[in-house]
Amino acid sequence: MLKKRIGSFGIILIIALIFIFLPFVYNNQSFLFNMMLYIALAEGLNIIYGFTGYLPFGYVGFFGAGAYSASLAILFLHFPPLLSIFIGGMGALLVGVVLMPLLKLSGAYFAIANLAASQALYYIVANPNLESITHGPYGISLASVYNPHASYYTMLAVLVLSMIIVLFIRTSNFGLSLLAIKEDRITASLAGVNVAKARAIAWGLSAFIAGLSGASFAWYVSVFYPGTVFSLNISVIVIVFALFGGIGTIAGPLVGSLILYSFYNFIGISTPQYFQLLYGILIIVLVLFLPDGITSILQKRKIYVP
Amino acid sequence: MSLNNLMLNVEGLIKEFGNFRALDGADISVKEGKILGLAGPNGSGKTTFINVVSGVYKPNGGKIFFNGKSIYKLEPHKIVHLGLNRTFQVPKPLSGLTVEQNVKVAAVYGSKEGNTKDKINSALSSVELDNVKHKEASSLTSAQQKLLGLARALATNPKMLLIDEIAAGLNQHELKRIADMLIKLNKFGITMIVVEHLMSFLDILTDDVVVMNAGVNLFRGSIKEASMNEKVVEVFLGR
Ligand SMILES: Nc1ncnc2c1ncn2[C@@H]1O[C@H](COP(=O)(O)OP(=O)(O)OP(=O)(O)O)[C@@H](O)[C@H]1O
Ligand SMILES: [Mg+2]
Repeated sequence: MLKKRIGSFGIILIIALIFIFLPFVYNNQSFLFNMMLYIALAEGLNIIYGFTGYLPFGYVGFFGAGAYSASLAILFLHFPPLLSIFIGGMGALLVGVVLMPLLKLSGAYFAIANLAASQALYYIVANPNLESITHGPYGISLASVYNPHASYYTMLAVLVLSMIIVLFIRTSNFGLSLLAIKEDRITASLAGVNVAKARAIAWGLSAFIAGLSGASFAWYVSVFYPGTVFSLNISVIVIVFALFGGIGTIAGPLVGSLILYSFYNFIGISTPQYFQLLYGILIIVLVLFLPDGITSILQKRKIYVP
Repeated sequence: MSLNNLMLNVEGLIKEFGNFRALDGADISVKEGKILGLAGPNGSGKTTFINVVSGVYKPNGGKIFFNGKSIYKLEPHKIVHLGLNRTFQVPKPLSGLTVEQNVKVAAVYGSKEGNTKDKINSALSSVELDNVKHKEASSLTSAQQKLLGLARALATNPKMLLIDEIAAGLNQHELKRIADMLIKLNKFGITMIVVEHLMSFLDILTDDVVVMNAGVNLFRGSIKEASMNEKVVEVFLGR
C-alpha cells in the first residue's frame, strides 16, 4: 500500500512540475490551462463514476455552479479570488447535497435525472428575470480581478488536489468500500459499509472538484456566458476522456485527457472535419476493443496501474 | 434456560410484495448458543425471513428483537454492527474484487474489534478458502462463492448467523465438510439459524427445527417429531 502510494505521488509530482515549468517554454497557456482543467474534471468524475459506478451525465452542473458561485462571491461580496474559488467549490458541493436523493436511482435513471438537473440549473442561471443576480443570459465579467497567471496556478493546485483525492481513494479502505458498493450494494452493506454515507462522501468530493475547476475557469477566462459553463459538451468530453484512459485509477483519466485533448487541440482546431471523423472512429474502436480504457491493457497483464 | 437469553426473537413478522404476503405473521426465536434448523417447501418464506431480519427488506409488521434490542427496520450495516449477519442462497460476491478483498471490506467495516489481518485470515481459514485468496471472486465456483459469503459474514465478528441453503447442490462428502464447519463455528459461540431443504443435513447440526409454510411457522420440534407430524407431512408431500 505504501509503495503504491509513493509511486502515485511520484506521478502527481511529475505532472505538477510539468505544468509549473511548461509555460516558460511553451507559450500556448490557454491550451495548458484547458489541459489541466480537463484532467481535473476527469479525475473528479472518476471519483464518483470510477469508484461507485454512478455515471453523472450532468457533471457540468457542478462546473457551472462553481463558476457562478465564485463569480457572485467576487462581484457581490467582493471576496478575494482565492477565497471565491473555494466558495465555488462549496457552491457545487451545495448543489451536490441538494441532488443527493438522486443517488437512490440506479443506472440510466440516475444519469438522466442528473442530466436534467444540470440543465434545470442552467435555465435558472440564464433566466433573464434573475439578471440583477446572475446577469441572466448576458454572462459574467470578472475583468476587475483578471489575472491569467494566478488563475493558471490556482487551476494547477485544483488539479493536484483532484489527483491526491483519487490517490487517497485508490489506496485506502474507503476506496475499497466504494468499490464494494459498485460491485453490489447489498453485499457491501452486509459487510458493514454505510452505503448511503460512503457514496454521499464520494459524490460530495466529486462535486467539490468540479466546482473548484469551474471557479478557476471563470477566473481564468473572466468573461463567460451561462451556455459556456453549463454546456453539455463538457460532461460528454470529460466522460469520454475518463473512459478512454480507464476509470478507477489515477492514471486512466490522466492519460485519457492528455491524449485526447492534445489530439483535439492539434487536429481538431486546424481540420475539424477530419477530427470529428477520427474522434468518432476512435470512440467506436475503444468501445469495441478496449471497453475498460487504454490503461486496461496493462491491468490485463497484471501490471498495477496507479 | 430462561426466556431472557433469547438471542433472536421474532414475533408476528409480516412482509408483503404487492398484495401477496410472503411472511404472514411468522414467530421464530433462537436461544443464545443454539442452532435452529429452518425448513419448509419452496416459496414458504424462508429466504424472505432472512432478508427481513437482516434488514435487506423492510418489514410490513411484527417485532424483531436481537439480544433484547429492536432491530425492526434498522439498516443492514447497523444490524451487522450489532453482531447479526447472514449468507445468501444465491451468492452475491463482490465479483471484481479478490477473495481477500471481499473479506477485507467486511473485516474493516463490519466490526471495530480485532486486528483486520487476523480477522481476514481466520475467516478465510474457517471456510478453507485461504489457498485461493488472491483469485478474483468471479472465478470461484458457486459453492466456493457461498463459502466466501460465509467468510465475509465471519469477518464482521458475528454473534449470530442466518445461513441460507449453503449446502444445496453439494455431494455427500462436501455436505459433511460444511456441516462440520458450521458445528465448529457454533462451538466457538456463534448462534445460528440454518435454512435447508435437506433434513439429513439439518439432522447433523441440530435437533431443533422450525417448519415454515405459506409465510408462517407451522411446527417446531425435533426432526423425528417433524417426520411424524401430520401437517408437516402434508405440506411436504401434498405439493
Ligand atoms: N423480491 C420479491 N418480490 C416479489 N415476490 C417475492 C420476492 N422475494 C420473494 N418473493 C415471493 O415470496 C415467496 C417466498 O419466497 P422465499 O424466497 O422467501 O421462499 P423460500 O422459502 O426461501 O423458498 P426456496 O426454498 O425456494 O428458497 C415466494 O412466493 C416468492 O415468489
Ligand atoms: Mg430460499
